[in-house]
Amino acid sequence: MYYVELLLVGLIWGCTYAMMALGLTLVYGLLRILHVAQATVFTLGAYIGLLAANHTGSLAAAFVTGALAAGALGPLIYRLVYQPILDRPPFVALVASIGVLVAMEDGFRLLFGPYGLSFENNVWFTTTYSFAGMTVNLVQVWMVVAAVLLLSAFAVFATRTRAGVAWRATVSDPAMAESFGISVTGVRYVNFLIASVLAGVAGVLVGLLNNLVEPGMGGVIAYKGLAIIVLGGLGSVPGTLAASLVLGVVESYGTVFLDKLLDRDAIAFLFLIVVLMIRPHGLLGAR
Amino acid sequence: MLELRGFGCGYGLVQAVEGLDLVVRGGEITALLGPNGAGKTSTIMAIAGHVETHAGTIEFLGEDITRLAPAERTRRGIALAPEGRRIFPDLTVAENLLVGGYTHAAAEAARAEESVLTLFPRLRERLRQHAGSLSGGEQQMLAIGRALMARPKLLMVDELSLGLMPAMVDLCFKALLELKRQGIGVLLVEQNTKRALAAADRVVVLVSGRTAYAADGEQARRDPDMVESFLGLKEMT
Ligand SMILES: Nc1ncnc2c1ncn2[C@@H]1O[C@H](COP(=O)(O)OP(=O)(O)O)[C@@H](O)[C@H]1O
Ligand SMILES: [Mg+2]
Repeated sequence: MYYVELLLVGLIWGCTYAMMALGLTLVYGLLRILHVAQATVFTLGAYIGLLAANHTGSLAAAFVTGALAAGALGPLIYRLVYQPILDRPPFVALVASIGVLVAMEDGFRLLFGPYGLSFENNVWFTTTYSFAGMTVNLVQVWMVVAAVLLLSAFAVFATRTRAGVAWRATVSDPAMAESFGISVTGVRYVNFLIASVLAGVAGVLVGLLNNLVEPGMGGVIAYKGLAIIVLGGLGSVPGTLAASLVLGVVESYGTVFLDKLLDRDAIAFLFLIVVLMIRPHGLLGAR
Repeated sequence: MLELRGFGCGYGLVQAVEGLDLVVRGGEITALLGPNGAGKTSTIMAIAGHVETHAGTIEFLGEDITRLAPAERTRRGIALAPEGRRIFPDLTVAENLLVGGYTHAAAEAARAEESVLTLFPRLRERLRQHAGSLSGGEQQMLAIGRALMARPKLLMVDELSLGLMPAMVDLCFKALLELKRQGIGVLLVEQNTKRALAAADRVVVLVSGRTAYAADGEQARRDPDMVESFLGLKEMT
């Protein structure tokens, strides 16, 4: 039963990784930028969500405001940081992205203090369900539900709407897509909006699960997100989702079997190195 | 409907084409021929707005379009089936067509799709299939069909028959003749000289970015050896 529980916990984390990593894959697929600053969007979502929850007492308000704030910040980073340097080599954007992350982390520290904030009334954390000898809390349930809902909504958008088809065409051949009258700039904003809303919601969820929101909380998950999109084969959406779940589970077992040697966050990178040695194009990649 | 005068294009400091005069009329096919590297693709891509025009003017329906963005040229009625076809491989056939008709309202796009599927019935059977899984000939049909979704007045096709089975080449040429009958002007780049000459109302041969031969179709058909002799020439500098 213990092993099943580990599997469950791993999949729950995997869902949250997926919400974070999908955005990184979307940005990479469209612009070939490793959007490390996504971590900042995640953290902002968590802070704004926490402030809203503590102010209004409503967790629903936390998600709405967190998603809105994140959804505003991501496109803003595109406009102010990436757009002016799009014609430079990709590492320029990567360095700029890391700069944004570091600066924003200090910004959070100045604004909200270095030690982090907690939810005053985290009912989801204290509401627990027991079944078959396992216990999960309501935050964990929502981690799965939110991921399934948002990722399904994304799939519907991508395959069933005009804008979604235009977005996929742009990813595949921007110059051709633009010549048919698709606004490539519009597609980029939508891309950052989707990525950022997913990250913002993930931020609120992780804040609730740890009952702590602190300035550096996005760093680790963003770097893991990068590991995941490499594992998923860079730019592949199904690969990203698979890699997220696999990493969640590997970490979950790893913390039990390797805890004398490695901490949880190091496992992700050990796993990345091992997989890339065996399958250089990622888990689902060609060959 | 399309007229290039003293046209030159290229890439930064590299001049690919110089001093080209070329005309395409509605309901006519102009064949643009020449050996590899002559500048045919550069010319077509410059007319579509993807390559920089360095000299001269591009006039379309009596208006100077030399400086317009590619999408604006599409809106005015210039459509492109580019070299290498550049269909969207991960999109289905239906989605590729949707993108082709992106500037039109749903009703207009539906009418355009219907006429494309009448022209290429094979595409109708493959609507839900990923474009990347089509055969070369079907991909070419899709590239032309996607271009036609914008309801163009001028269609440009770069390397129509390259890599296609002969039966597919027949189908594609038949489609061009049908479009010509409908009054659409066609600018055709084609390696298969015999086929191109048979269909063309005008012929221009480019060698090393300059016009080596220009004539109407009648005349070019009378001296095919003349045309061939230019195509045999290697790129000169
Ligand atoms: N992207 C490019 N950058 C620089 N030069 C190019 C580019 N594309 C083509 N050329 C050059 O322009 C000339 C014409 O090429 P192209 O138009 O492709 O010829 P064709 O289609 O007749 O084979 C060639 O000398 C080629 O090397
Ligand atoms: Mg060419």
